Amino acid sequence: MYAHGIRAGLPVGFEGRIFTRQGSGIEVANPVAQFATFALPAEVGDFGGGAVNLMGDRDVFVVLFEYGRDSVGTRLFAHPGLPRVLTTDHFQPHVLRRGLTGQSGTQWFFTDSGRPFTLYVVLGSHARRSALVPRVNQLLAGLTVDPAPEPSVTGAPWN
Amino acid sequence: MVALSVTLGAVVLLLSLLVAGLLRSHADILKALHDLGAGVGDPMGEIGHDHRAAGASAGGGVVPLTMGPTLAADRDSSSAPGVAGVTPAGGAMAVAPATSGGLTLLSFLSTGCASCAGFWESFHHPDRLGLPAGTRLVVITKGPDREIPGEVAALAAPGLSVLMSSDAWTEYEVPGSPFFVLVDGTAGRRIGEGVANHFSQVAELVRRAGIDAAAFDLFPSAGRDIGIDGPARESANDRELLDAGIRPGDPSLYPTSVEELYGPPDARMPASPRHVRRAG
Repeated sequence: MYAHGIRAGLPVGFEGRIFTRQGSGIEVANPVAQFATFALPAEVGDFGGGAVNLMGDRDVFVVLFEYGRDSVGTRLFAHPGLPRVLTTDHFQPHVLRRGLTGQSGTQWFFTDSGRPFTLYVVLGSHARRSALVPRVNQLLAGLTVDPAPEPSVTGAPWN
Repeated sequence: MVALSVTLGAVVLLLSLLVAGLLRSHADILKALHDLGAGVGDPMGEIGHDHRAAGASAGGGVVPLTMGPTLAADRDSSSAPGVAGVTPAGGAMAVAPATSGGLTLLSFLSTGCASCAGFWESFHHPDRLGLPAGTRLVVITKGPDREIPGEVAALAAPGLSVLMSSDAWTEYEVPGSPFFVLVDGTAGRRIGEGVANHFSQVAELVRRAGIDAAAFDLFPSAGRDIGIDGPARESANDRELLDAGIRPGDPSLYPTSVEELYGPPDARMPASPRHVRRAG
């Protein structure tokens, strides 16, 4: 899978999508990549709304969400590079954006290839995290981000 | 009398040579066909004789003989490989129907075929499709090398999962459009495929599959009922923030300390039940 400068080599059993949501007019639509071991519904919120409630206890859900370029260089995104190896200690039930009983999650902010991202991961079962986290790491190993394109030169091309 | 006998003997000898030559020629033709993989039984060969080895040993390559479309008996009609492609909007998408649980209906459609038009139109009214709850619908067109994404986008209903991939058509051996494949994600195989003129016929196929699967509890539950959800929930959150005058980039969205977020420690009071606001 490749779109919007994000490439994903999906392990067996994963499906995914990379897209930009149509902006509301006052916000800039940035790329979102979603990956899951279950059938992703057609309509899913950026951080899994409408999908995480469908997860079984053997499922994982992963979001890679890009922020605006003005976030580059801020302390929140100081972590260099996409986290490649997560551990079971990184997952906590209270990290979930939508707290559902039995699930747990983790969230990381980082800058990769000059592009600011957050990585948000949900496990279908916190009790099974030792079996599910390796699947997440398998997915993360196949994700790459292209460098941010150079800002376009404004002004008439004949100037 | 002697001359007649000699003449007759010569004719018999000539005819014998002719028959022997024909038999030899026939044997050579049969051997050549056998080496090409089109043999229908070689009395000189062993059972299970490897045509590829024979071809290789003879110094020639293996020549597959394929005439016309694959016969029904030769089709791989049970595997359900994952498919990946692009979306009409320029994104990417991959589905794994064999491992995702539940039923997935893959609808292979084109923008140009007249009989597909009715299906594109039907998908604008998902509540009238008649598919069993929990059945996922994915439309697959050929890739951007064969279809124009803008035309696909114009036909696709909002919210419809549309994937453009010519490889998917090859892997599922789609003979033409419209064509439908029903995959059971619990059993990991396709359980039905075929053509239809109206979507009601497809829905009937899925319904029958549902009856078969019900005894084995193949359909997953519709998930947890958690009220407003998905993009609608996020839009509702955005509306609340905008109504409160909080726009993108508002300083209140970027607190610099815990105190700025929750107030001084002494002021933090445990919330009474009537003050607890549940997240939408």
